[in-house]
Amino acid sequence: MSRWLVDGWQVVIGIETHVQIKSSQKLFSRALTSALNHPPNTRYNAFDAAFPGTLPRLNRKCLDLALRAALALDCSVNQRSSFDRKHYFYSDQPAGYQITQHYSPFAVNGRFTSANIGFPIRIKQIQLEQDTAKSITDTRTRTALIDLNRAGTGLLEIVTEPDFRTSEQAAEYVRSLQELLRALGVSDGNMEAGSLRCDVNVSINRPGEPPGTRCEVKNINSVKFMVAAIEYEIRRQQSILETPGPTQRVSQETRRFDPDSWRTIKMRSKEDAPDYRYMPDPNLGVLVFSEKHIEAVRRTMPPLPASTRLRLLRTYSSSGVTENNIDVLMNLDAVRDITYDGATDSAIGAVAYFELCAEGRDPKSVMNWIIHNFLGQLSALGKPFSSEYITVAQMGQLLDLIITKQMTRPSAKLLLKQMLVSPSDLAVKQLAENMDLLSLADEHSTRSSGDDDSLRDVCKRSIEALPAEIAAIRAGKEKAINKVIGWIMRQTKGKADVDRAKDILKELLHQ
Amino acid sequence: MLQDFRSPFDATVVKLLKKAGAQISGKTNCDEFGMGSLNIHSLHGPVINPFRVDSRRAAGGSSGGSSAAVAAGLCDAALGTDTGGSIRLPASYCGVVGLKPSYGLVSRYGVVSYADSLDTVGVLAQDVERVEKVFECINKRDCNDPTSVDERLREKAHLLATKSIQRWSGESLKGLRIGIPQEYFPSELTSSSYHILASIRHLLSQLHSLGASIVPVSLPSTAYALSAYYVIASAEGSSCLSRYDGIQYGLRVPPSPESNFTSTSRTYSPSRSQGFGREVRKRILLGTYALSADAFDNYFLQAQRVRKMVRDDFDHVFSIPNVLYSKLSFEEKDANDHGEDGVDILIHPSAIRTAPRLDDVLDVSCDRDTLQDYVQDVLTVPASLSGLPAMSVPMRPDAGLNQPRDNQQSDENWPIGVSIVGQWGTDELVLKVGRVIERLSRR
Repeated sequence: MSRWLVDGWQVVIGIETHVQIKSSQKLFSRALTSALNHPPNTRYNAFDAAFPGTLPRLNRKCLDLALRAALALDCSVNQRSSFDRKHYFYSDQPAGYQITQHYSPFAVNGRFTSANIGFPIRIKQIQLEQDTAKSITDTRTRTALIDLNRAGTGLLEIVTEPDFRTSEQAAEYVRSLQELLRALGVSDGNMEAGSLRCDVNVSINRPGEPPGTRCEVKNINSVKFMVAAIEYEIRRQQSILETPGPTQRVSQETRRFDPDSWRTIKMRSKEDAPDYRYMPDPNLGVLVFSEKHIEAVRRTMPPLPASTRLRLLRTYSSSGVTENNIDVLMNLDAVRDITYDGATDSAIGAVAYFELCAEGRDPKSVMNWIIHNFLGQLSALGKPFSSEYITVAQMGQLLDLIITKQMTRPSAKLLLKQMLVSPSDLAVKQLAENMDLLSLADEHSTRSSGDDDSLRDVCKRSIEALPAEIAAIRAGKEKAINKVIGWIMRQTKGKADVDRAKDILKELLHQ
Repeated sequence: MLQDFRSPFDATVVKLLKKAGAQISGKTNCDEFGMGSLNIHSLHGPVINPFRVDSRRAAGGSSGGSSAAVAAGLCDAALGTDTGGSIRLPASYCGVVGLKPSYGLVSRYGVVSYADSLDTVGVLAQDVERVEKVFECINKRDCNDPTSVDERLREKAHLLATKSIQRWSGESLKGLRIGIPQEYFPSELTSSSYHILASIRHLLSQLHSLGASIVPVSLPSTAYALSAYYVIASAEGSSCLSRYDGIQYGLRVPPSPESNFTSTSRTYSPSRSQGFGREVRKRILLGTYALSADAFDNYFLQAQRVRKMVRDDFDHVFSIPNVLYSKLSFEEKDANDHGEDGVDILIHPSAIRTAPRLDDVLDVSCDRDTLQDYVQDVLTVPASLSGLPAMSVPMRPDAGLNQPRDNQQSDENWPIGVSIVGQWGTDELVLKVGRVIERLSRR
């Protein structure tokens, strides 16, 4: 893999991701989990504050979501695993220990494949553990403020083997992992909000030689920072190892990324690393996952993004729907907020919306309409995608009006805008009538001939109103008809059927 | 540390008692965090054994206050927690009944944890009937306690106990097989406290004359149990007490202004050093060491292996299987190979001596051998390590002795208890035998 060498150095990267499980209650306490907008110290109970006499109570919903992640990452699920206490004193750890799975994690030996990385990333293990409280230090007043909202929230720690060779691969992994976790309903996976955090381990070595000393960079909370931290580490370690004179060594350290100076800073060295005195938690015993349970979760899991993508291509590409189209819809779903506890969402996503609308209609036109018009309008109005503004049924009616030419595209756009700005329960056709947006019909429709007459009238008036253009048409300049049609469209407020108007004009001009 | 702390919630056992109409008349003294065998490690001072207050003897611990309150008639019954003998030992010293139920039957939700795998809520009262009444009220599954055993297993053990009881109910004890573990009669007992030996011999002959079979048995791992207990209890204790940092609740001693504020240990250590008594600090330090990377394998893991051996010893001698671990079905166990040789319960002295003088044990000079304090637990810890039900019932101190009871200062007059130990979940069997022994002791 010489194409990934940096100045002749091979880069070895491993990633540990801490993912907050989107459960409504915490991992061992019945307190509700919190979002960023909750005021501090409003989402905790006596257990989270480590009051004497409290005991852990395992939340089974977290287990189901944990299993989904393990199965999606192709891991072997250990039928028996256990919980351990990791002891350390810190202001964000009220009990003086974190409950985690050190000796026996619940899932091991998985594999993550992403088309953009090109080779599978081995997942070493996944373990369940508690999140810490949040500690905010005010250096000016020399005080630390503790917020217990986050304390005890369920986390999945996903540890990869050091298979990454470039920072781009690492970034791609994190982005794809986010998409996967959201699709599974396991986590919002939002780095800025803190529901996904990464620690990276970086080392460099000359090709053919054993891996170098690795340094850990902790608590990175954006993909951009992760790439910057990795790049900085590579340069820093490179400059140490390339120093002329006696061979220097990279010392094993734990570092943090500083977004202000765009570099990593040492937190502690190997010698200062604490002894966590891991002890099996005597309250929790053995965690058992039965075959039945695992199969039940496997059967009811939402589809993985990769398989959804494949299915959509297979179903719709023959009608002209492109990969790009599919990506647009899937990206909308990738940033949607997911429900708590893996519950099925009552609102449907962009992909489902498209598929339902496309039933019985031409998929390509539906796709174009949704992407160019619907999404375009939403973006102009500053609204995120939602299937709740206009139901599938309503959108379907709108589409049918266009297909049966009862409404022109420009009229439909106006109607769409109206429906978004002031939602209504009325049938779409009724709405269109009220807004006078229905087409001027042609003589083949069942509508009253009066409409056709009115179109004829408008055409006749156009001949009188635009003598220069009419003369040009008569002189053989075909393109001039477009100006006339434009005038007719303005007169009819876009309701005229362009093709019919052209026919009537030609008919009138040849009389 | 928790001097001014008021818990925002009631323990499950307290809720159950209140719901059943019990009147909570007060809280009792105990060794700090349950760490002690004499109830001398307390901010409120040592508990004085009410048997003869002028003698100023210890009440035993850690639930010495509860035991003394019951012995002095201040209440009908009292709750205690037994981690390594903390109910049975004071019951023996004060002359009352003390029950440590099977681990997992009574909810620990609300109990200040010392060692989660050993702590058991129990009952003290002046007679077995009252102990039984309180026990029945609190013997309920609780979802708030993850170690609370489910109904299915409780029912299984109950059926096995009933089967055993049915074999010998009534005046006759024919069919009851009582095991006497030879390792529970250590040299300390036979030399200095021979009257305890005499009492228990007398009791056994009474039981035998009623038809019970007295069977000598061996529990070979007993010698290692005490060390294993203290390693595990201290290790778990150091873990359970990590939460006391004075931040969310409890004693907060601000660090001196010159100290390094960025160091967590500098912020926490004044509170913890001042808030914990000497005995507690000692056990936390030892426990922390036992869990450290260097010592973990040799101390903590090894102690767990010994613990399993101790439990296996019991399972080998009991005719009733341990429903928590036994893979055999109920029916299969009937044809078990040692069903014939096994015993229903075990009987042994609760303590190797009677209540010691407070003057002797409160001496904090370096001359005193504090190791002796720990040795008092030697007879009680095996049942704790194995989670088995055990109850101490007072024996007549002078039973079997030929001398009259006239020397009030003599150790021989002080209360002694006999312990009844049963297989896991057979608490009703232990209580039933307790009633028999109580009756015999009062004759």
